[in-house]
Amino acid sequence: MRWLSRLLVGGYLLLATLPLVWMAVTSFKAKPDAISLHPRFVPIFTAPAEGADDAERSTFVATREAYAKLGEVQTGARASYFEHLGNSALIGLLSTLLSVALGTLAAYGFSRFEIAGSKDWLFFILSTRFLPALAVVVPVLIMYRELGLLGTHLGLVLLYTAFNLSLAVWLMKGFIDEIPRAFEEAALVDGYSRLQAFFRVILPQARTGMAVTAVFCLISAWNEYGFAMTLNSSGALTVPAYFAGLQGNLEGMPWPQVAAGALIFVAPIVLFTVLVRRHLLRGMTFGTIKQ
Amino acid sequence: MQERGTTRLKWAFVGPTLLFLLAFNLFPLVWSIVLGFRNDELVGGDSRFVGSANYARVFADPRFAEAVRLTARFVGLAVLLELLVGFTLALALQRDFKGKSAVLTTLLIPMMLSPAVVGLFWNLILNGNYGILNQLLAAVGLPAPQWTTDRDWKFTSILLVDLWMWTPFMLLISLAALNAIPKSLYEAAEIDRAGTLTVFRRITLPMVAPLLGLAVLLRATDALKQFDLVMAITGPNDAKTQTLSTLLYQVVFRDGKVGLGASFACVVLVAVIAVATLFTRYMERLQERPS
Repeated sequence: MRWLSRLLVGGYLLLATLPLVWMAVTSFKAKPDAISLHPRFVPIFTAPAEGADDAERSTFVATREAYAKLGEVQTGARASYFEHLGNSALIGLLSTLLSVALGTLAAYGFSRFEIAGSKDWLFFILSTRFLPALAVVVPVLIMYRELGLLGTHLGLVLLYTAFNLSLAVWLMKGFIDEIPRAFEEAALVDGYSRLQAFFRVILPQARTGMAVTAVFCLISAWNEYGFAMTLNSSGALTVPAYFAGLQGNLEGMPWPQVAAGALIFVAPIVLFTVLVRRHLLRGMTFGTIKQ
Repeated sequence: MQERGTTRLKWAFVGPTLLFLLAFNLFPLVWSIVLGFRNDELVGGDSRFVGSANYARVFADPRFAEAVRLTARFVGLAVLLELLVGFTLALALQRDFKGKSAVLTTLLIPMMLSPAVVGLFWNLILNGNYGILNQLLAAVGLPAPQWTTDRDWKFTSILLVDLWMWTPFMLLISLAALNAIPKSLYEAAEIDRAGTLTVFRRITLPMVAPLLGLAVLLRATDALKQFDLVMAITGPNDAKTQTLSTLLYQVVFRDGKVGLGASFACVVLVAVIAVATLFTRYMERLQERPS
């Protein structure tokens, strides 16, 4: 059994990581090496001698060319990859800030006060998460056209905040519920107002929870595609929408650049996943399962 | 510990979040219902009340029935296979070993990544002529289909990428469920000399069932919205892979039929709400359980 388990886990580890490894390998290729009929997976660092070009070879000359080209504007696009990456970062960070701030306030409210119908409110908040983006995108589109928010950073920031609030409220409520009420009660007895108690006693205690919540909000805003594509033909195009736009002709796809761009795009997510690894379960289940 | 002014204060905490959600979720939703009875187009066209004409068209349109069938098949297969593989992996990962935490974190990474961006790169892996997958399959003498262009394989391709992304989620929850089983139960079974299969059927399965139920519901509500991977791999208008979300996109953004799309969205919503209600009820029951 033990060997079977190891075989299973080892095999799956390969399956899980190979696509990402292949992404990394591809990002250091020139385009012909990326679409050769014979797989080329051994990087070499000096070009082979003239005439030694063999279609069956497994080697490719490693190059940083794809990364350098990310700064250029592709044909059919309006801005370079890095500009879109900047849009993703700006929209992701601002919406995360807003979701965590509003989510923490609401979570504290639901955790500490008697609110009429609080259970129903909480489940209403949760249910917004299950709404398919495409089901509300038309009214949002019309609304944004009226308000001049179409294709702006602010438009996506607000939308992602709304989209992430369910996660932020539920996660933060779990964390705040764990902070003993005695802490604030002591502060209130000491003459703090309720607001002071919240800012000086609760917030410092809730730091870990806020950091974890921020990571999950950032990841979901960073990865979002449906709204980003349908509400933006230009302006604040994020990376997922920009990449999808390149798809026009798959054969002409600049694969090494796509690989390089995708790798840069997923790298921070991998890092964040490692950082919050102990809270993954909680984050993925809206705080229902705590570990 | 209710002090004066609490009423105003508590709404100050939860109010902004609720207003945000009402403006960005409930309001567009209500608007969608209104639009469903009108014949608005994305650009130009006239705009008037058309009664239930849109609904009649939705139910008469074979594309709609086909998308419902296809989405149901996708959700069923994805959830079932992910659960089976994820749970098997969790069983294999139960024993402690050196580096387990690193292995686990690595296995979980795919579910955190952007389906749109990673899905685009999967096109290169799955390419029938120069994709690494077919090159590997050919090397071991297995048939190598045209994954993304063969009518009979497109659906499987998208399913495969979904399995790659989401099996880790089932693994994560399965592992938590297995870890939560008290060791004493197994010890008691050992004293009673229960066989391995009996222990699995009588102890393991009933103990993990509630959490696996949660995992299945969470995954199902998510798979029901499947959009990003289909867009990345076959596009919105491929009869063999058209899910509800991509058909909706096609109707609204390619055909420009806003009214028709809205009525269609409302029909989809009823289905989503049914599953989501099931889910929230389930969460409520889980939360009431003493942990």
